[in-house]
Order: sequence, then structure tokens, then C-alpha cells
Amino acid sequence: MEHFQKLMPFSVVIVPLLVGFTLALFARWKREVCGYLALGGVAYAFIISLVLTGRVFQGELIHYHVSNWLPPWGIELLIDELGTMMLLLLTGCSLLILLFSLKSLSKEIPEEATGWYYTLYLLTLTAMIGMVVTNDLFNLYVMVEVTGLGACGLVVAKGEKLSTEASLRYLMLATLGSGFLLFAIGFLYQVTGNLNISYVAAELVRVREQYPFLMWATMSFITVGLGVKSALFPLHIWLPDAHSSAPAPSSAALSGLVVKVYIVAMLRIYFMVFGFEVFHETYMRYLILLLASLAILGGSLFAFVQLNLKRRLAYSTVAQIGYIFLGFSLGTKWGVVAALLHIIIHAFMKCCLFLAAGAIYYQTGRKKVTHFSGLGYSMPVTMAAFTVASLSMVGIPLFGGFITKYGLAMGSLEAGNPYFIILIVISGLLNAAYYFPIVWQAYFTSGHNVKLELDKVPVVMLIPVFLMALGILYMGIFPGGTLEFLERAVNRLIIM
Amino acid sequence: MDFSRLMLNYPYFISIILFCLGCLCILTQHNLIKKVIGINIMETGIFLFFIAVGNIEGGVAPIYDPALPQEIIYINPLPSALMLTGIVVSFSVTAFALAIIVKLYQFYGTVYAPDIMRMR
Repeated sequence: MEHFQKLMPFSVVIVPLLVGFTLALFARWKREVCGYLALGGVAYAFIISLVLTGRVFQGELIHYHVSNWLPPWGIELLIDELGTMMLLLLTGCSLLILLFSLKSLSKEIPEEATGWYYTLYLLTLTAMIGMVVTNDLFNLYVMVEVTGLGACGLVVAKGEKLSTEASLRYLMLATLGSGFLLFAIGFLYQVTGNLNISYVAAELVRVREQYPFLMWATMSFITVGLGVKSALFPLHIWLPDAHSSAPAPSSAALSGLVVKVYIVAMLRIYFMVFGFEVFHETYMRYLILLLASLAILGGSLFAFVQLNLKRRLAYSTVAQIGYIFLGFSLGTKWGVVAALLHIIIHAFMKCCLFLAAGAIYYQTGRKKVTHFSGLGYSMPVTMAAFTVASLSMVGIPLFGGFITKYGLAMGSLEAGNPYFIILIVISGLLNAAYYFPIVWQAYFTSGHNVKLELDKVPVVMLIPVFLMALGILYMGIFPGGTLEFLERAVNRLIIM
Repeated sequence: MDFSRLMLNYPYFISIILFCLGCLCILTQHNLIKKVIGINIMETGIFLFFIAVGNIEGGVAPIYDPALPQEIIYINPLPSALMLTGIVVSFSVTAFALAIIVKLYQFYGTVYAPDIMRMR
């Protein structure tokens, strides 16, 4: 038992991977069991994450040395507050997404590919989990690359013209990004001689005065490298196509989880490796502030003109990523807390919206936002969840989105820069302008045949959508505990 | 300008040139196969950089041999080992990209990006 407790952080990474590759055995002949097995693997990871969260909550920092090689030589897994928050988010959301995909998948991707899909999903999930728990830069790079490949696979699984093309563009840009990241890691290795994040950070404090240009180069390489992958505004061009042409469960995972993980990796490198001073002194902070502001406005404006629902949601992701970047480049405590909180809440909102879009497509086959009249009566549960998520996107009090907007406003006041409050208000109005017409149409333009009936989609597809909406409400009404926990995470990030 | 240090560290210089060439190739070439070649050039530049980091002039492979004199210098094997992983990653990316390109060719009958954009 004690041995198992020691192995826990490792098993949370390795078990989904093993399950994923076992599924490849079943994928050809017994593909109906694949979904359930995948669900089992993710459920295991979720339970372990809960246990680990409990341990971290008590104030423990969990270290694990892979095959007993001590740092700085071996690969170290380190689970801190940020890591455990991401672990819970990744495994929890994946559990719901996989539950949804059990029934919806066969309608969206070719029948014979449904088994392989779960292998890909688990591979992506493993790499994402690895990325948030690793404390080793090269390991981080490998995980980044595997996540990129897996995510491209999730897009291309649909096998259509549009998704294949979007996937290729995503792959090209993602590889370009990881090339930049690897180069930056090479710079860091050259000046510090270490790959373990804690050791690199300790060494960098001593030597960074000697290499001012190298600091510039490394910071900008990392910004470009991870910025491409997390769709920072002018580098987001791959996102709308990839996210909107993928099958619904993939879209939810890509928009809700994959882009966030890169942001967490960026956050760790900026704050834990370089420290806030370098982030500030190289002006990278101002660049990201500017790009984030552009993302918030630009993403919303682009979303406004899209008529395809999933494309509109994808552009909305670009805008919401802007919030996260805005929060952490403000650099104040409230700002970073709001950014982390938005990672959670946006994952809930986007998963909810994309899964709802998938459910709508499943029942009615409609994709255009102008064709949704009367849906509030024929799909009440889905549309109720959709409405909750939309209200949260706009930032109405009692819904999760309000808390992050409040946090960002507090953060920009703390940073002595109240102009960002205007930006946040404008963006809220823009969100209202492109979400409310959908909701309005669904409930109030139904014509004469208003007959309230329950959704005709399988109940396993309704449960995830419903639970996500509940999560948004919970975050909006009782944010206290989460905020306290995130504050601890931020304290660790900024002090280290 | 003093070029002697540049001459001393020429592998770094070449690696940067290769990296830039690869990036340029990915971003400006219209032929999808050439884009994949660009990826490979870029990653080769990175591999060269890492291996140059690990190398020491006059060093030998880090295998302990009592026959060698005591003051011999060993090179750092870690970057080379890392690059083995890097090569595997780059290989799988290339394979995946080529597979997608084959599929695109089946759909559109061409690997020329502007033509594909026009046919959408």
C-alpha cells in the first residue's frame, strides 16, 4: 500500500497511456468495448487526481523520481497546487467528454475509426497530464510534441476534406512552435547545464546578468513557441478551422483543455524558471498585454460575423484565451488568480457549449446559428445548459464568468492600469451580441408549434452537458474555496 | 568587428542558419511536401545546436577506459541522448504529415496549397 502511494503520481501518467495502447488491440474487432475501457482508464486517473489533490491540499508537495534517478540527473515529477488543479480539470472534463462521445461519436466519424479514436484521445490526455506534472524541461518538450500530434489526430479523425486540411495546417504550425520551444530549451541548457526546472531556475538567478541578449532570445522563442500552440492572437490562424471542423468531443477537448495546458506550461516557464523580474524587464509582459487585448477585441469581432455555430465558438475561444493571457501578464496576485480561475471556468463553458452544439447536431442536424428557432422547446435540457454557459460568457453575476471578470478588474486596478476594465466591459458586450441572439432565437421565435418535449438525444449525452452547466453555476455562486486554493498556487508561482 | 569567436563557434552559426532556412521554407513554400522538408531542415538545425552544446574539442566518448590517460576529457553525452528522442519525434511528425498529405492528395488531386485553397 505504501509502495502504491509512492507510485501514485507516476501511475496517473502511465495508466491512461497503457490503457490507450491496449485499446489499439481491441480497436479492430471489439470496438464497442473501447469507449468503456477508455472511460475506465480516465476514471482511474480522476480518482488518483482526487487523492493527490487531497494530499496537496494538506500542504504537501509531491515529488516523484522516475526510476529512482535523483534530480538533477533523472526526470522528476512535481505536483504542486497548479499541477493538481490542472490534473483534476483535465481528468474530470475528459471523463465527461468521453461519456458524451460514447453515443455521439459513431454519428460524426467513420464507424471503423471509432476504436482508434479513443487511443488517440488517451494519448493526448496522457501527454497533457505529463505536461502539467513534469518538472523537467526536455520532458516538457516531448509532452508538448505528443500533445500536438494527438490533437492533430483528434481533428483529422473525422476524415473529411475540411478537417484534414485544418489538421495539416495545425500540424505545421504546431511543429514550428515546438521547434522554437526546443531551441529555447537548448539555450537554457547551455547557460545553466540543467534541465530540471528547479535547478535551472536556481542557476539562472546567478548567471542571467551575464547573458542579457540570451534572455531576450529565450523569452521571445518561448513566447512564439508556446504562443502558436495556445493561439495567442496573431498566431491563432490555425484554431478556428481546426476546432470547428473536428468532431464535437474533440472540439470540446481541444478548446477546453489542450490550449490551456500550453498556457500552464508557459506560466511555469515564465514565473518558475525566469521569475517575474525577467518577464517584466524584457518587456515581454507588455507585448503579451497588448496581444491579449487585441485577442479579446479581435476574437469577439471575428466571432460576431460567423454563422456556423462551431466556428463562432472557436473564435470565441480566441477571445477567451486573451482573458487568460491578460490575467497573467498583469502580474498581480488577483490577475494571476483570475487567469487560473478562467482556465477552469472557460474549460467548463467551452466544453458545455461545444457538447451542446454536438447534441444539437445529433438531434436536428443543424449547424447554422440562424436555424435554431424553437430549439428551446424541443431540446430543453441542452438549451438550458447552453443558456447558462452563454450567460457566463457574457459575465452576468451568479455565473462563473462574472468571477473572472471581477478578478481581472481587481487585477488591473492592482496593477495601476484601470483601462483594462473598459476593455473587459466592451468584450462582455460583444459576447452578449453574439451569444444572446442564439438563445433568444431558441426560446422566443418558435412560431406556432410550441410543444415542450424532452431532448431526443441519449441520456449519456445530456449528463455531461448538464454537469458542466452545474459546474459553471457552482463556480459562480461558491467561488470561495477555489479562489483560496488558487491563491496558494499563485503564491508558490510568484515567490519561486 | 571581431570574427574570431564566430569562427570558433561556427556550429552554432550554422545551426541558426539552418533553423531560419527551415522556418522560411515552412512559411513561404506552397508545395506541401516542401513544407515537410522545411520542418526537417528546421529540426536538423536544432539537433546540430544541441550536439554542438555537448561537444568538447578533443574530447572522447564518455566510456571509462583504464587504458586512457587520466587527464583525458570526456564529452557531455546528455545532449546527444536528448537528440535521439528529438529525432524520433521529428520522424513521427514527418510520417504523420506525409500521411495527411496523401489523404489531401486523394481529395484534391494536388499537393499545391493555393490550388487546394481555391478548390475548397
